Parts: sequence; structure tokens; C-alpha cells
Amino acid sequence: MSTQFASHPARRLGGLTLDPLAWMLTLLALVLGVSTFFLIVVYVLWQAAGVFGAVSLSEFLLFEPWVPLAEPPRLGILHAWVSTVYVTGIALLVAVPLGIVMALFIAEIAPTAVRNILQPCLEVLAGIPSVVYGFFGYVTLVVWFEHIFDMTTGVSILAAGLIVAVMVMPFIVSTATEALDAVPRSFRETGMSLGVTRFYVIRRIILPRAMPGIFAGIVLAFARGIGETLAALMLAGNSLAVPKELLDRGQTLTGLIATELGEAALGTEKFAALFAASAVLMLLILLINGGILLIKNRLLCHAQG
Amino acid sequence: MAAFFSSKTGYYVMHKAEQLLLNNRRAVVNDRVFWLLAWTAGAIGLLLPLSIIGYLLFHGFQVLSWSFISEVPRGYPLGVSGGILPAIQGSLAVTGLGLAVAFPAALASAIYLSEYARSQRFVAVMRFFTECLAAIPAILFGVFGYAFLVVQFGFGISVLSGGLTLAMLMYPVILIGSYSAFNAVERPLKESALSLGVSRAYVIRRTLLPKALPGIIAATVLAAGHAVGSAAPVLFTASVVQTRSSPSLDSPVMTLPTHLYNLVSEAVSFEHAYGTAFVLIACLLFANSCAMILRHRLRK
Repeated sequence: MSTQFASHPARRLGGLTLDPLAWMLTLLALVLGVSTFFLIVVYVLWQAAGVFGAVSLSEFLLFEPWVPLAEPPRLGILHAWVSTVYVTGIALLVAVPLGIVMALFIAEIAPTAVRNILQPCLEVLAGIPSVVYGFFGYVTLVVWFEHIFDMTTGVSILAAGLIVAVMVMPFIVSTATEALDAVPRSFRETGMSLGVTRFYVIRRIILPRAMPGIFAGIVLAFARGIGETLAALMLAGNSLAVPKELLDRGQTLTGLIATELGEAALGTEKFAALFAASAVLMLLILLINGGILLIKNRLLCHAQG
Repeated sequence: MAAFFSSKTGYYVMHKAEQLLLNNRRAVVNDRVFWLLAWTAGAIGLLLPLSIIGYLLFHGFQVLSWSFISEVPRGYPLGVSGGILPAIQGSLAVTGLGLAVAFPAALASAIYLSEYARSQRFVAVMRFFTECLAAIPAILFGVFGYAFLVVQFGFGISVLSGGLTLAMLMYPVILIGSYSAFNAVERPLKESALSLGVSRAYVIRRTLLPKALPGIIAATVLAAGHAVGSAAPVLFTASVVQTRSSPSLDSPVMTLPTHLYNLVSEAVSFEHAYGTAFVLIACLLFANSCAMILRHRLRK
């Protein structure tokens, strides 16, 4: 019996058991892969630290304009983060109400056939590359804006915000649908059996239960919105002024990085400043995602225990 | 009876009944309004993707011809006429290299997490960091790839730098997809296979992999489709406006998304931009339908 097993081809490979080898190789792959995360985080922070010899943190974030060619260079990202907040704010203002109602439609009202068509459609919408969205906005929204608002160029914070809204909406819909689907069926049935309307059941019973999941989706959508690059770069207008109105031009953090990185030499203060801008973006996104993940895991642990 | 309705109690009952009826009517109206709003939102959710995709495909199709995808860009400024062959080749080269690095690494990592890892805590921690890696926006991979690979490692703006950058982008996505594909394999199947006394490696190769393969391929195809369209990571690591030679590991290339970006931002040719967007959308639709078919097979 044992000789039979020992001679099994999978058991022995040239006198070597395959299992420890597979164990070692797969562990190596995992450690190498996951360590790229730490490599990126540490490297970006390390490069970013160089800027704080030239400016202080508050100057960098709040007071200095972005004039890297001045002597000495003036490095501030106020205009960039204000633009980012504007663009993402507009995007969420549009995408959140629409996305939640759409999720309610998918989860509570739509017949299964409609749901089965709608969900793949939204999946495709989520997959359209950022640069294609930027191009689409450029040939539709921007042109309309020039007509409607009589602008010389239609590129603006508003155009970027609306396109980013379309980009983050599928994400809000899918997370909200997931949260709504997780509410037990019996809640709906009990509610409906009391003779109240479906809207009442949704508003007073289902939405409160699904709210944490929906809120998490919105926060994650914010993190995605601020990381959006190409569409914001092509539509926001690449202006170094701090935007004040919706139709002003601006430059998001991602746009600033994408525009200037190619012209910055390693080791210069401008290069470090771009890394500091990246670090701000990265820390914000990781804080949001990490926080949500930790809360979710804790909730799961509670649910199991 | 009449005495009851004219009494104080009777009046109260009537008043309450009337209020209830009014409330009920308001609730019904609210319900109707909500129903209408929900169907409107559903219609928007259907029309928005269809109109965006339709608009781009319609305009792109008019530009598309065999010469558009088989010729090099010509004219001045470059891209006004000719085709986009080098961009297609470049995108394939960069994404192919990225997949060649990311796929084995991600698959092996998923196997370790779902089959070999003993401690649940270790799995949870690793999943946490993987999901954090997946949350990092594409532009940051580009920034890191540029500074670390292009400049510090001296790989230059090349297929190698771009491919490795895209590999970092794809790795967490493929890992998470494969991990859930492995986890979806029924426990009894795994246990009965193990109970036969063969090694874990054998069970993985002969039982789990075939079962999980559709899910793994679906995740990989989606990740690759995403990477092909992603301009931010290759903008500074692999792409240039123009190349003459066919792609090699240490030379820069043109890629589809950055070519589209150049055509639009320099206002070179909107016609060719439509054509390039068509090719990108076609890649996306191909990847999504592949994934959908595979997932459908998996569910059976």
C-alpha cells in the first residue's frame, strides 16, 4: 500500500516531494507581490520628504502658488487640491442620488430580466477607459458648454465633474445594490404584510439597514474620484489658478502630476513636490480604503462570532 | 347611531378615519412617485452606457478601415493620416509582458492563500494589503514606475518599464479574482480529493485548478482589458508620441490610450481619435463578454 503511494507521480518528483516546493514557490510569489505595496508606499513617501527642505507643510498645502520655474521655485498645491475637491464634489453630488435610486430600482423594483440587462450595461460603463471618457467629454460636453454658456473653451471644472460622475456612478450602484441585496427577504415580507406601501417599507425598513454599506460605497467612490486622472486632465483645463466657480478652469492633483512629471528631473525640488502631491493623494486614498476595509472586516467578525 | 356620530367620541373616530384616509392617499402618491423615479433611474442606467458606447462606435466605425489598423501613422502633425498599427503592437507588447509577470505571480499567491496558508489571520492581513494595493490609483503606479524603474533602475522609457508597471496594476486584481474562484470550489470536493491520500499539489493541479479555471481566466481577462485602456501608468514609463521600429523590450513604444490622448490634447485629428477609441471600446467589450461567458459557465 505505502509503496503504491510512494511511487505516485505527484507524490514524488525525482525523489523530492512536490508539496514543500509548491508551498515555498507560492509563498515567495505572495510575499514578492504584496511587498510591491510597501515598496510603492515607502518609496513615494521617501521621495516626497525631499520637498520639505524647500517649503513647510502648510506653505505647500495652503499658501504657495505653483511656480516651479521661479528662482527659488515656489511649490504649492492649493489650486490642485481645491480643483480635486470641486471635481469630485460635483461628481458625487450627481452620482450619489442617481446611483442610490438606480440601486433601489435594481434591488427592489426591476423584474429579473431587466436587472440581468442593466447590470452588465453598468459593468461596461465602469470598464470604459478613463482616456476614452476624457475624449467623449471633449467632443460632447465641452462642445455643448461652448454653445450653452457662450464660453471660448468649454473645458471646466463642471465638465470634468460631470464625466467623473458617470465614471463613479456604476461603482456606487454596484456597492449599494450589494448592500440592499444583503437585507433579509423576511424584512420586506413582514413590512409589506402590515399593509404599508412599498416605498414606506424601502424608506423605513430597508434603507436604514443598508445605509452602512451604501455609505461605504460612497466613501470608496470619493477615493476613486480623486484618483481619476486622464478624464480630469483632459476636461478640467490645466489652469494654475485656484478655481472659484463651476465654469472656471482648474487642474486636479492627478492632472498636475500627469502634466509636470515628464519635465521634472530626479532629485530636483519640483520632482520632490510632485511626489509630495502623489503622497497626499495616496495617503488619503489608503486611509479611506483601509478604514472601510477594517470596519467591514470587524463587522464580518462580529457577524460570525 | 346618529347620536353616536354627534357625540364627542364619534366625532373623534370620524376625524381619525378621515386623517388615516388622507395619510393613506399621500402614502400611495409617494409610492407612485418613487416608482416613477426608480424606473426613470433604471432607464438612465440603460441609456447612458448604450448612448456613450453607441456614439463612440458609430463615429469610430466610419473611420475604421483595414488600412487604419494595419498602417503606421503618417502626415504632419503625425497621426493626421495613416493608421495606428504601432500603437496596437505597443499596447499588446506592454500588456502581454505585464500579464506574463502578473499572472503566474497572482495565481501562485492565490493558491498559497486559499490552499497552503494555515493561519486565517495571515490570510486576512494579506488580503487587506492586496486590496489596498488594488485601491492605489493608476497614476501613482505611473509615478512610481517612472521614478523607480525608468530613472533609478535605468530601464528607460521602454516596454520593460511599462510592462512591469502594468504588472503591478494587474497583480492585485487577478489575485483577488483567483482567490475567490478557488474559494468557490465546493469544500466536499476538496476534502474527498485530499482524503485519497495524494499531495496537496496534486489536488490543486487536478481538482481545484480545472474547477476554478473559468473564474481565474475571467478575472485575468478583465484585468488585462483594464490595463490595455489605462493611459496613466504607461504615459511616463513606456510610451512616446512616435516610433519607427517594431517593439522590443528596451525600446519605447506607442500605445493605444496614450495615442488617443495625444491626438486629442494636441488637437491632431479627431477622426483618428474616434478610430482609436473604437479599438479601445472593442477591446473592452471583448474582455467583458469573455468574462461574462466564463462566469456563466462557472455558475452551471
